[in-house]
Amino acid sequence: MYVFICENSLEGILTGVYDACASRLGHRNIRLYTGELHNYELFTEYISVTPSEKKAKKVIDTLISRFGRQFYESIYQAAMSGETHSVDKMDKADAIYETILLALASGDGQKVLLSLGEPCVYRIFELCRSTNREACRHLEFLRFSELENGVLFAEIHPKAYVLPYISEHFTDRLPQENFMIYDATHQVVSVHKASKGFILITASELDVDNIKRHSEQESEYRKLWLTFFDHIAIDARRNPKLQKQLMPKRYWADTPELARFL
Amino acid sequence: MRIEQNKSLATKLEILTDAAKYDVACTSSGVNRKGNGIGMGNSRAPGLCHAFSADGRCISLLNILLTNECIFNCAYCQNSCDCDVPRASFTPDEVCKLTMEFYRRNYIEGLFLSSGIQISPNYTMEQIYQTLKQLRDIHHFNGYIHVKAIPGADPALIEKTGFLADRMSINLELPTAGSLKKLAPYKSRHTILSPMRQIQSGIVQNKNELTVYKNAPKFVPAGQSTQMIIGATPESDFQIMSVADALYQNFGLKRVFYSAFVQVSSSPLLPALPGGPPLLREHRLYQADWLLRYYGFSVNELLSDERPDFNLYLDPKCDWALRHLECFPVEVNCADYRTLLRVPGIGYKSAQRIISARRTATLTFSDLKKIGVVLKRALYFITCSGKMMYKTRLEENYICSNLIADRQQIPKDLRNSGYQQISLFDSSTLGAAAIPQESIIQAELSSMR
Repeated sequence: MYVFICENSLEGILTGVYDACASRLGHRNIRLYTGELHNYELFTEYISVTPSEKKAKKVIDTLISRFGRQFYESIYQAAMSGETHSVDKMDKADAIYETILLALASGDGQKVLLSLGEPCVYRIFELCRSTNREACRHLEFLRFSELENGVLFAEIHPKAYVLPYISEHFTDRLPQENFMIYDATHQVVSVHKASKGFILITASELDVDNIKRHSEQESEYRKLWLTFFDHIAIDARRNPKLQKQLMPKRYWADTPELARFL
Repeated sequence: MRIEQNKSLATKLEILTDAAKYDVACTSSGVNRKGNGIGMGNSRAPGLCHAFSADGRCISLLNILLTNECIFNCAYCQNSCDCDVPRASFTPDEVCKLTMEFYRRNYIEGLFLSSGIQISPNYTMEQIYQTLKQLRDIHHFNGYIHVKAIPGADPALIEKTGFLADRMSINLELPTAGSLKKLAPYKSRHTILSPMRQIQSGIVQNKNELTVYKNAPKFVPAGQSTQMIIGATPESDFQIMSVADALYQNFGLKRVFYSAFVQVSSSPLLPALPGGPPLLREHRLYQADWLLRYYGFSVNELLSDERPDFNLYLDPKCDWALRHLECFPVEVNCADYRTLLRVPGIGYKSAQRIISARRTATLTFSDLKKIGVVLKRALYFITCSGKMMYKTRLEENYICSNLIADRQQIPKDLRNSGYQQISLFDSSTLGAAAIPQESIIQAELSSMR
């Protein structure tokens, strides 16, 4: 058995797929693995994969030309997911590798994605679902606050790497605003300038003092929002359990209205 | 009536949020619109919920009244002119400012504006129109707007407003004309249904225009909705669902909302509800509403004169399935989509997944579990390759007692009130008095054709 250890990123995983195919060791003898290994198995050779943009690009081109954009998008979403491996679930990179093999064998990528009976395809489906859900929730629960210089700033802690997706949404929604979204989990910031596109920078370039200085108006509107939030609830229908179910507590810290109750 | 001048914005927001919160139709769905690059805002068809309040309801839109001063005296409403509550009014400027600043911070998905009837229906509708116009034209707001049409307002005003809003709604308030007359003497079926009809024909006409001129202005693109209060008047579930169905069929509504009656005023016309608002009943009505809209059920299949109310112990689909065991078991690997939809435990998403997954492989029970089928309900009603999951009997009492034996399946309200295992058709516990209601319903529906 050979295990290819890939970096937990789209580039890393797809390079792993490329190397695994090019190694000619036989698909049955190969597994892919993301992240760091804690337990080594006997009679298994571990090969670490250096991410290469060129190799990943080749795989992406093949996927798009052979199976269409939608297929690639599912693979992309699965790769963006925060889940990697757990005891009872298939590893992310391994699921992607096997699904690509199935698609190559059948020639119809869309059809392969529908056969949820296959464990690897089901895993891709699960990963896509978790990424999509995370992305959607951040469109909803992200909160901007206005800084002294008029820039809108938001901090999020997403499990999956959804920053590019949500930045696109807010670029469309707030074209005339300058805003920054700080993904604290992945240490990336997206920066948008009025009537331009957005760019992604690493968090080390973030001005830490600046983001703590809110504008004068900010506290006023925050207070108004809290007023609205408290008064919109109907006392006769109080149901904190339902509230928690619909908005899990891990999102609370980044919103002004619920951070108070943590 | 307390009159106080110069309230602060915060106080006004407090009063007018409290006044608006019993309107439940807070959704931002039904329209896809990209940003225009100049103004602020876009919209997504599935809708976004920005927060969830302490009662577990979603906060999608800024749900406020323009004013809670009202000349009407509807008994169920806390803003009725007979109630002694603090009154306030927003100026259009204030509403615009709040909407824009909240939207910028991603607190809300848009505005849901309603109003008490101040001075006259026309005056109120004009105020609403001015607010929307200012929001769209001066502030270039491109997000979602849901607005109430005021019953009795001039059709020309309603039309003008419809071109600025995404969704419009007129509340039906109570399921029958008789109850409406009793509790809301200033409103009538006619003043509610005629603007509803006007909006419906406006939408149809606008659709035709849009096919010819792509850039024609859009009229109420997200459709219209309405709301009924549940439990304030003695109507049965059968009557309520028949009315809802007629609204979907004849008025092309997008949604009918059901709002469990909450006691806010002490009018002698209203029932006392010591157990709190009838939330479970409301839940069952929503479940049935989904069955009507997405699952191809009709009202007469779910309820009848002999069974005018939903079973509180079982959801409407399980209840239906138990009465129609001749349709089961269903073979998952070959049943068509419509048949799959009728199986308890299979939703429309899992039905779609079953259809696509079985093209490549024969499905087993573990596959179904992965797909998202709720097996603890579905297992009595399905077979995979001709086999049932366990040895179960296809008998009403057997399945019913098994479904109810799982305490998780019993709604919390009933569990806490010390439930005992009942026979499904024990009419005394379900409180179903068999009054002939066919005639009442017929009269009701004929007014809505």
